[in-house]
Amino acid sequence: MSVSGIEALGFTPYVPPVATADPGASVNGTSGFADLVLDGLDRLEAVQNRADSLAVQAATGDLENIHDYTIAASEAAVTTQLTVALRNKAVEAFTEIMRMPL
Amino acid sequence: MGAFDTLRIAGSSLGVHQTWLDTLAHNIANVNTARSTDQDAFQAQMLITSSRAGGGVEVSGLAKSDPEGRMVHNPSHPLADENGYVRMPEIDMSSQMSQLIMAQRGYQASVQTTKNAQENYASALQIGRA
Repeated sequence: MSVSGIEALGFTPYVPPVATADPGASVNGTSGFADLVLDGLDRLEAVQNRADSLAVQAATGDLENIHDYTIAASEAAVTTQLTVALRNKAVEAFTEIMRMPL
Repeated sequence: MGAFDTLRIAGSSLGVHQTWLDTLAHNIANVNTARSTDQDAFQAQMLITSSRAGGGVEVSGLAKSDPEGRMVHNPSHPLADENGYVRMPEIDMSSQMSQLIMAQRGYQASVQTTKNAQENYASALQIGRA
């Protein structure tokens, strides 16, 4: 969707990603969802490490700007919540399949 | 464009307003700094900002006020010349105080932006939750 009013300001308007089915994924053994979760965990670790190092700087008095830490901390909190939500969905799907009568 | 752009943009604004507050504190602290007449007066700092390409704001420079200052007759001052003059900085205190309020309000507005962003992320996480 093009929003000419804000494009003039140098912003690229948000374009939602379109999910496309990849028929070869399950055959090749590469699971898209598992990769997504693992990638998310890696990124979560990086974000949390950043927040942790800033927390250490705050404790030792080396922190230049307070908002650097608070923003990193809230970023880490939201990323953690998103990862947990994804994990819950995965577990939910797994138990749903396990409940299937054979 | 990443997921945390709102936070990043608001963070850049917080940084700029923090620097602005720092320069104002520096100017106000030195409003009574006298120099001898053969030296430059204390120069007040003024922040120059510009918008960032990907969104946000950054400090692009620091301008300094007139080094001429103003001559004040104060013969009892240890730095006074043979005519009894010292050089005081050219700082308009009322302008500095107005800017102090503007910088404070700008900082507070950016904090509110981060709060709204956090609420938006929390709302997005509610999608699909039983």
